[in-house]
Amino acid sequence: MNSLWMWWQGYVTVRLRGQGLERLLNRIADLGIVVHKVERLTLDVMIVRLNIQDFRRLRPLLWDTQISVSILDKHGAPFYLGKLRSRTFLAIGLSLALLSVIYLSNFIWFVEVVGGTTLSIETLKGVVEDFGLQAGVPRNAVEPRIIEAELLKRFPNLAWAQVSIKGARAEILLTERDGLQSEHTLPGHVYAAHDGVVTEIFVLRGTAKVRDGDTVREGELLVSGEYYDAWGHKQSGAAQGVVKARVWYEAVGEAALTRWEPVYTGRNHRQYTITLGSITIPLGRSYPRETYQKNTEEWQLSLGRAMVPLRLAQIDYQGVEYNKVSVSRQEAETSAYNLAWESLVNQGVEQERVQKEGQRVDVMTDGDGIRVTVQVEVLEDIALFRAH
Amino acid sequence: MGPALNRNLKRKLAHTLDLPSETLLDQATIHLMGDGEVKISNHKGLVQYTNDCIKTRSVQGMIEVVGSNLEIVSFSSSDIKILGKIRQVMLT
Repeated sequence: MNSLWMWWQGYVTVRLRGQGLERLLNRIADLGIVVHKVERLTLDVMIVRLNIQDFRRLRPLLWDTQISVSILDKHGAPFYLGKLRSRTFLAIGLSLALLSVIYLSNFIWFVEVVGGTTLSIETLKGVVEDFGLQAGVPRNAVEPRIIEAELLKRFPNLAWAQVSIKGARAEILLTERDGLQSEHTLPGHVYAAHDGVVTEIFVLRGTAKVRDGDTVREGELLVSGEYYDAWGHKQSGAAQGVVKARVWYEAVGEAALTRWEPVYTGRNHRQYTITLGSITIPLGRSYPRETYQKNTEEWQLSLGRAMVPLRLAQIDYQGVEYNKVSVSRQEAETSAYNLAWESLVNQGVEQERVQKEGQRVDVMTDGDGIRVTVQVEVLEDIALFRAH
Repeated sequence: MGPALNRNLKRKLAHTLDLPSETLLDQATIHLMGDGEVKISNHKGLVQYTNDCIKTRSVQGMIEVVGSNLEIVSFSSSDIKILGKIRQVMLT
């Protein structure tokens, strides 16, 4: 602390040369001056450090002695400030840099995920971004408790989530629960995941509430978690079972009988963009999508599982002109059928489980397109456990 | 009243009132921390300073610190702080 105070006030390293240096030190001390780090080099040379203000008071003491005094070095804040005064731009630069650091430290620049190994970082990133946590946002705009609650709600396999902000870094700490354990330790019932006709029911624990051939609606109770044990006592536990049912799915796909085919003109341009947090800086001009096709390649800077707010993108523009060409009915039907199946797959239909498939083809009212409706019957397990 | 009588009176007063004698009698106090640091308060002036020996005056007499690589890290009218390898502290 003393050294820091000395530095702040400014001090000089002084060489004293002559006879009777001890006597001089006593006279200096008698003036109330404190000298520091006194080094004896030879019999007639001593190095001392003293406050810059005190140094000026030495002169009268030396008048009647044969001792010479010379300054070897100057230290401390007043000397630095003096140097800065003569280098205005350096002083301005340093001040601006300091202000920038202070200002930028109010933002979050790194978002790091710890734990939650089975969750994809992109999905997590999407959720936390929806609630305002991303690189480049002000620290006080982030509500950790709300984000924690949302993470636990969105990802049921999470047992614990904590968002802590440490300086410019937001840390998301996640602990995943053992799915099987949680399902079978909490009491609950088995419900129907879809509408369907039950073909087979196999109860592992609980009481069956439907039978083969029953038609069930989505959300209907299939197996109750309440049952009577071997001693006739009513128990309430986690219902478990397999309920196979015939389930119907329907999807629609549409395709036009004409299409615009791109013809490349050979006019190519390239643009780069740098994205820092929510700010994107384009390097080069962009081109309209009506006459150019755009291919983007992105590089996201990342440090392990930490998301760093710096992204670089390369955008290639290829000049195109569009020609209208007609499509055969067969080709349009195939396209529409494939789109319908894409939709079915998105609904969770597995092609190998399909028992029956039917389709209807309609020409759209304007006569310029085909609509294909695909209906499939699937045999699947519709049991869905829900804890109380 | 002679100086010796005066000193005796002050010593008795300090003893009776349970006051620190170094305050009333202006005596030097020596704090020795291990064999690396010595602090002398209430000294009456530096007499000799070399890397092996530092001598100061005090009311009790001469205080002599003997050792090697001795250095005065702080020196004021009342206190001296010495660092180095200290072998002896003598009152002569």
